[in-house]
Amino acid sequence: MNTMSTNIQSGIDYASISRKNRSWDIIFASLGIVVLFIAISTLLALFLDLAIRGAPQWTNPDFYTSFPSRKPLEAGILSAWVGTIMVMLVTAIVAVPLGVAAGLYMEEYADKNWFTDVIEINVSNLAGVPSIVYGLLALGLFVQTFGMGETVLVAGLVLALMILPIVIVSTRESIRAIPIELREAAYGLGANQWQTMAMYMLPAAKPGIITGAIVGLSRAIGETAPIITIGALSYIAFLPPSPIGGDFPFISFEWLNSGFTVMPIQMFGWVSRPQADFQITAAAAGAVLIVMTLAMNGLAIYIRYRARKS
Amino acid sequence: MSTSHESHLHHISQQFNTELSQLRDDFLKMGGMVEDQIVKAMEALENHDYELAEATRIKDKEVDQLELLIDEEANRVMVKRQPTASDLRLVISVVKMVADLERIGDEAKKIAKFALSMFDENGNFVAAPRGYVEARHIAQHVVAMVRDSLDAFARFDTEMALRIIKEDKRVDEEYKAATRSLVTYMMEDPRSITSCLSIMWVLRALERVGDHACNIAEHVIYLVEGEDVRHTPMDETERVVGR
Amino acid sequence: MSTDQTSTIQISQSAHQGGQAGKPSETREHWYLEPDGALRARVSNLKFWYADGTQAIDDVSMPLVDKKVTALIGPSGCGKSTFLRCFNRMHDLYQGVKYSGSINLLPEDENLIDLDANIVRMRVGMVFQKPNPFPKSIYENVIAGLKIRGIRKREVLDEIVETSLRQAALWDEVKDRLHQPALSMSGGQQQRLCIARALAVKPEILLLDEPTSALDPIATAKVEDLINELSGNVTVLIVTHNMQQAARISNYTAYMYLGKLIEYNDTNDLFQRPKCQRTEDYITGRFG
Repeated sequence: MNTMSTNIQSGIDYASISRKNRSWDIIFASLGIVVLFIAISTLLALFLDLAIRGAPQWTNPDFYTSFPSRKPLEAGILSAWVGTIMVMLVTAIVAVPLGVAAGLYMEEYADKNWFTDVIEINVSNLAGVPSIVYGLLALGLFVQTFGMGETVLVAGLVLALMILPIVIVSTRESIRAIPIELREAAYGLGANQWQTMAMYMLPAAKPGIITGAIVGLSRAIGETAPIITIGALSYIAFLPPSPIGGDFPFISFEWLNSGFTVMPIQMFGWVSRPQADFQITAAAAGAVLIVMTLAMNGLAIYIRYRARKS
Repeated sequence: MSTSHESHLHHISQQFNTELSQLRDDFLKMGGMVEDQIVKAMEALENHDYELAEATRIKDKEVDQLELLIDEEANRVMVKRQPTASDLRLVISVVKMVADLERIGDEAKKIAKFALSMFDENGNFVAAPRGYVEARHIAQHVVAMVRDSLDAFARFDTEMALRIIKEDKRVDEEYKAATRSLVTYMMEDPRSITSCLSIMWVLRALERVGDHACNIAEHVIYLVEGEDVRHTPMDETERVVGR
Repeated sequence: MSTDQTSTIQISQSAHQGGQAGKPSETREHWYLEPDGALRARVSNLKFWYADGTQAIDDVSMPLVDKKVTALIGPSGCGKSTFLRCFNRMHDLYQGVKYSGSINLLPEDENLIDLDANIVRMRVGMVFQKPNPFPKSIYENVIAGLKIRGIRKREVLDEIVETSLRQAALWDEVKDRLHQPALSMSGGQQQRLCIARALAVKPEILLLDEPTSALDPIATAKVEDLINELSGNVTVLIVTHNMQQAARISNYTAYMYLGKLIEYNDTNDLFQRPKCQRTEDYITGRFG
C-alpha cells in the first residue's frame, strides 16, 4: 500500500483517514473472532469430553442394540433411541401440521385486530415458557385428567405443544418472506385464497417451514424436564410394539400407548447411579444425543442452502 | 390551449431552458441578419453602390452558416430532451422557419447580384427606366413583414401573425400591378427590356420574401395554437387564432 | 393507420362541437375526450380510500376503449397505479380500503366494484412492475391461470401455451425449453412470460403496471412492440412513468394529478397539443 497517498492539491492525507476508518473494522473483527472461538471451543470441549469418556461404550456396536442393564458396561440405549424416534414422530406429526395451519391462518386469513394481536403476543411468549411448565401441563391434563398414562403419545403431545410456537413463528416468517409479487401474481390470475396458498405460497415457504420444524424437533429431542414430569421411566427393557407388521392392515397404533424412555432420560438415569462405570455409559449416550441433534440441524441447514440455490 | 412566449423558460431543467432560449435567440439573430440583408441589397440597388452590393452578396454565407448552427442546435434538443407539446412545436417550427429565413437571405443575395449585374464593364450603373418606385414600395412592405413575423415569433403573437398573412395578399397584388406596368412599358420601349427584366426579377425576389414572411407567420400560429394553418382557408385560420 | 387518422380528425371535430368550442380559457381545469368506437369499460365518479383514510382517487370518470391501448401518466403519487389496481380489485387484498363510484364493464354493464373480487380478477388480467413468474417451469407459468380455472386437458393446455407465447412474441425463444425454470430466463423474457400468462386466460382487460420499469432498453423495446401488437386485439390499460413510452404505444392517454383526472385525450393530441395547461406543464417537464 502506498503510504504517501496525499492529494497534492488539497493536501488531504487520504492514507491516514483510510487507516483510521479501517482500525474500527479490525477491532470489531477481532472481537467477533474471539467470541466465536469461545463459543465453538466450549461446544467442542463438551462434545470431546463426552466422546472421549464414553469411548469404550459408543464404539461398541452392542451399545446400540442392548436394553439398559444393571451392569454398567452391558447397558445399551436401544430402548432410548427407539423411544426418542417414536416420540419425535408423534411430535412432528402433531406439531408440524398444526403449527403450519396456525401460522398460515394467523398470517393470511385472520383479520388484523386486537384479538389476533393478543394471540400473536401469546404465541411469541409461549416460545419462552420454561419446558417444565409444559411438563406440568401435560401431567395435569393428559396424564391425570384424561388418564392417558405415561405413554409415547403423551410425551409426543407435550413436546409438540412445546415446539408449536417455533413452528408457528417460522411458518409466519417464511410466508412473510415471500415476495409480495408472487402473492399478487397468483391473486391477479384469479386464484382464490386457498389456491394461492396451496399452489404458490406454501411451496415457496416450504424450505423455511421445514427448517423451522427441524429446529423445533432438535430442541425437543434433548428435552428432559417435561418428560420426567409426566413420569417417564428410565429403565425400560422392552420396545414399544412395532407400528408396522402383524395382522391386516399391517399398521398398529399400539405403540402410542406404550411406556417408553428417551435418550435424555436414559442419560439422566445413568448419571444418578452410584457406579462410576455408569458415567461412561452416560457420556456415550450424551455423545450420541449431540450427534443426533447436530445431524438434524445439519439437515435444516442443507435444506435452507438448497432452497437458496434454486 | 395557447402557449405564451415565456413558457419554454419554465422547465424544471434549467439546462433545457437555456438550450431553448439559445435556439430562439439564434433564430432571432438570423432573422435580424436577413432583414438587414434585404435592406442593404435594396440600398445598393437604389444608390448604385457596388461595394455594398458585393458585401451583401458575400454576407449571405454568414446567414447560411447560422442556418446550419440552428439546425444543429435543434437536433441536439431533439436528441437530448425528446421535447413534447409546445416545446416540440417550438423546435419543429424553428427548424422550418430557419429554412424560410435562409431563403429570404437567398433572395437578398439575388437582389444584390442583380444590382451588381446592372453595372456595365466600365463600372457605370445602367439604371432601369422604371420600376424603382414600385420596388422600393414593395421592399418597405416585405421588410416590415419580415420584421413583424420575427416580432410575432418573439412574442408568440398570433394576431400579428394573422395580419402578416393578410398583408401578403396585398403584396401579391402590388407585385402584379408593378409587373403589369413594367410589361406595358417594355412593349412601348423594347430597348429597356434587359434592365426592366432585371428590375422585374428584383420584384419577384421581393414578392418571394413576402411569401416566406407569411410562412413564418403561419408557423408562429402553429407554434402557439398547435394547429397547422398552412394550406387552410383564411376563415379557418381566423377561427384558429380567434379561439 | 389511415382509418385511425380519419377517426382522430372526427374526434377532434366532435370535441369542438361538444361544448368545447369557442374561446378557451387559459385555465381550463379538465378536458375529457368522448372517444368514438366501442367501449370496454366506463369509470364513473370513482373514488378510492386506503385503509389509513387517505383518498388516492378523487372522482375519476373515464372511458376505456375496446381493443385499444390506454395509458395512464402522471407524477409519482398521483394515483395512477392505484387507479389501475381498482380494475382488478387488487386493493381488496389489504384490509380497510374503500371504493365509491363505479367501473362498469361493457357491454354487460356490470359494476366490477360490486362483483366478487375473484371473479373480477378472472376477467381482468394484470402484469406487474417487476417480472413475477412463479418459481416453476415456463410451461407451468403459462397455464397457471388455466389450472386455477380447472382446465386440465393436456391438448387444450398445449395449444394455449403455444398461442399465448406466440402472442407474447416469446414462442421462438423458448419453444425448446418449455419445461425449464422460468427464473432462468432474462428479465425481459420473464416479463413477456408474465404477459403470456395473463393473455392465456383471454382477459377482457389487460392491466400493465409499469411493465418495463425494471427492464433494459432492448427488453423494453420488445415489450413495447408486443403492446403495439396487442392493440386491436386486447383492451389494455397501462401505467407508465415514461411519457415517451405512453406516446409510442398508446391510443389514448389519461393524465392524472393528485388523484384527479386532468385530461383524457387521443394520445397524439395529448402529446402534441394538450388541452390543459397542467398536462402541458407535466409532459414538457415544467412540473414543479
